[in-house]
Amino acid sequence: MQIIGDTNIPFLSYRRVAISASLVVILAGLAFQLLGSGLNLGIDFVGGTQVTVKFRSAPDLGQLRATMADLDAGTPALQRFDEPEKNEILIRVENPEGEEGDFTAPIIELLHRDLNPGIGDGFDLNTRGAQSLTALLASSDPDGTGLTDEAAAEHYGPMAEAVLSYRKEHGIFSSLDELDAIGGLSDPARALIKDRAVLGEFALLGAESVGPSVGADLQSKAQGAILFSLLGMLVYIWLRFQLPFGIGAVVATLHDVLITLSALAVTGREINLSTIAALLALVGYSVNDTVVIFDRVRENLKLHRGEALEPVMDGAINQTLSRTVITSGTTLLVVLSLYVFGGDVINTFAFVLLVGIIVGTYSSIFIASPVALAIHKMLAARRERRRKKGRR
Amino acid sequence: MDKKVLWRVLLIVAVLAAALWSLWPPSEKIRWGLDLEGGVHLVLQVQTDDAVKAELDDSAQRLLSVAAEKGLNLGPTEVDLEGRRFTVEVPPEVDRDQLSEVARDYFSEYDVEREGARWTFAFLPNVERTIRDQAVKKGLETINNRVDQFGVSEPMIQRQGVEGDRILIQLPGVDDPERVKNIIKSTAFLEFKEVMQGPAPDRPSLLAGYAGLPPADGEVVTGTRTGYSGEALGRSFYLVKKSSIITGRELRSARRSQDEYGMSIVQFDLVPSAADKFGDYTGSHIGTPMAIVLDGNVMSAPTIRARITDSGIIEGNFSVEEAEDLALVLRAGALPASIVYLEERTVGPSLGHDSVVRGVRAGVAGMVVVMLFMLVYYRLSGLNANVALLANIILLMGAMAYFGATLTLPGIAGVILTIGMAVDANVLIFERIREELKVGKTVRSAIDTGFSRAFGTILDANLTTLIAALFLFQFGTGPIKGFAVTLSIGIFASVFTAVFVSRTMYMIAHSGQDRVQALSI
Repeated sequence: MQIIGDTNIPFLSYRRVAISASLVVILAGLAFQLLGSGLNLGIDFVGGTQVTVKFRSAPDLGQLRATMADLDAGTPALQRFDEPEKNEILIRVENPEGEEGDFTAPIIELLHRDLNPGIGDGFDLNTRGAQSLTALLASSDPDGTGLTDEAAAEHYGPMAEAVLSYRKEHGIFSSLDELDAIGGLSDPARALIKDRAVLGEFALLGAESVGPSVGADLQSKAQGAILFSLLGMLVYIWLRFQLPFGIGAVVATLHDVLITLSALAVTGREINLSTIAALLALVGYSVNDTVVIFDRVRENLKLHRGEALEPVMDGAINQTLSRTVITSGTTLLVVLSLYVFGGDVINTFAFVLLVGIIVGTYSSIFIASPVALAIHKMLAARRERRRKKGRR
Repeated sequence: MDKKVLWRVLLIVAVLAAALWSLWPPSEKIRWGLDLEGGVHLVLQVQTDDAVKAELDDSAQRLLSVAAEKGLNLGPTEVDLEGRRFTVEVPPEVDRDQLSEVARDYFSEYDVEREGARWTFAFLPNVERTIRDQAVKKGLETINNRVDQFGVSEPMIQRQGVEGDRILIQLPGVDDPERVKNIIKSTAFLEFKEVMQGPAPDRPSLLAGYAGLPPADGEVVTGTRTGYSGEALGRSFYLVKKSSIITGRELRSARRSQDEYGMSIVQFDLVPSAADKFGDYTGSHIGTPMAIVLDGNVMSAPTIRARITDSGIIEGNFSVEEAEDLALVLRAGALPASIVYLEERTVGPSLGHDSVVRGVRAGVAGMVVVMLFMLVYYRLSGLNANVALLANIILLMGAMAYFGATLTLPGIAGVILTIGMAVDANVLIFERIREELKVGKTVRSAIDTGFSRAFGTILDANLTTLIAALFLFQFGTGPIKGFAVTLSIGIFASVFTAVFVSRTMYMIAHSGQDRVQALSI
């Protein structure tokens, strides 16, 4: 089977159209970033606090907003997390300007105050941990083991773990009857938990808080990582090929990063650590694609000495076209599966790669070679001028 | 099979066996990152200023008492934290030479400036650095102790940051993050102090007998219990002596217990030297109140009923858990300085669990589609590539297990990306073979040139990707590092499987045939 047969498309002759189109998109994207709502930087870079909670029943967003209004911080943003029927909400709050500290604890305290008012000193099965549950069981000793504290903890520890691993799987207990489904729990212990435990309205799925100093650190590190990896590639390709190719590859990659960033800005997706990881993966992928074409150009230049660069480049792009399309296709397939099935946490990661691979494939054909060609011509012209000067 | 092929097969089998051996059983050998297993990642900063201030305060008090022993009565002292120094008023009648001697003998870590009636004691430059360093070291040790006593398996606690005043803590599998955070954060500085006045409902009525200002040797502390669960139980003011009778440093052990009404209390034992001191004090102060102060809050102020020597109790309306946690932090020791959280990342185990299920589902779906495509597009050669892909994944997981690398959520994404890119090398080779076949080469020479020509390209392409992965690693915090590691290992594994393993499979398929008629590609 074959998707792309022998082609002879004069790719380089479209270079003016392609470069203009890319410039328009990049400029529009930059304009959107600067004038519009800009990049949605996550708490990893600007600092802030984010708490994800799961509720027993559909949460009342209005009430939650009212609860969070008591925080002495900026306006909290509430949004649904994952599918609506999971009753999961993400609460994001700006931290007080320039302050460091524990900002997740007050949010959780407020939630307890307003959602679990009647609980008091009751044992909340939805927020307490295995250690606490073990202590509760060991101190009441429902099995009547008569063991010392430590030995009793060993006896009841696995039971507490079993209860907690149920919560781990389901996220929250919505009814105490769910305890019946848990094996490894002795009947008296189950009865005791049912008697002593209460179910709070929410369970904590995750909490993140980044103070200003760590945020600033991460921001400079992320910029550094992208900048230095581009530089590293420039040097590598310069050494293995020639300077024009290095510049071509780096310009094409920069092009991909800029367009992907614009796509992130337009869709309002958050930029966090894993987005940066995806951007760096994209840098690697995009250069990889370009290098395969350049490699073919180098090989063909050796075969046809003296031929002009432009037709050689066109030939190389056509010869590798089939590979370019297939590799992009298979990678796109897996990334697509990540995008569709990967879940909320990894969705933006997959989005970056999805956009990046499409743009990256385009740029390694339509941007990298034309730029390399232009630089090559420029250098050749300069050499020519020098030579003439020298003769005079 | 000729010898060359046999060697290749043996090498491949050995490599795969080694990978499987280091991988088996996967549930034990693959380390899950915090984002998948659930747990807490904390970065905190030790407020070393606290330790510097404590040292200055301490020295100032020490100077007064040492001088007093020599019969030199000095005026009030003043601590200047910004200038890293303290000053003392030296009345005219004090013998300057004798005081100089005291300064030389007991305060060698200070640079003393003698200016008439005010002497200034400033830290020598390296002393301050040592104090800060010691504070972080002690903090690290204390936190280690606390985490250890709380019972977290495989915690990671290390010092980091340019100034060296940050501590990174990773606690996998923790299911009650708020409790652990409180245990780590509480300074747990316990003092027993003599009550001079109080309790009183507010400050003015407390200090009514002192013209509204606490005396030089006294300080005002409040008894609001903001405790571990934060409920307020009323507020009362006490005037206590600045110097403590004993402190938490002198505890030998502490544990939770119950009083006769079933309330949780903390019971403690003192080290022998402190027991003598405590016995002397309580014996001579029967009938007077004594304040038990934790981190500046009065926990309780019981009246001394009898001489107490080596053990005692702390009451404070604790819940079982609060008493348990207080006993724990008292056993583990006080932090030398307060700490501030700079970064917190808590992943509840259920979120991590969900991520794993979805990640694996996405990976398997992607892989199946890619393999089907390869099979349809390259037929038997596609099968060859698919076997190479499976070998690639075994190698990748085996190498991760061997290096003890952590599998994170971005790491799973890395594995999935590797699946997509791993077939790239095979695609490069197959396309090249097709080209060679098209110009009329024989199957054998087409395979030979296909592999050798494609190899250079594969090397260049993968090395550039590796450069990106290395910078990713450099940048790496937690999960991202995991991604960089999987990507890097994946690159090496895919070069090996696509080039070496699939070449060998062609060799096996065509061995024994003198002339290969057709290639399924």
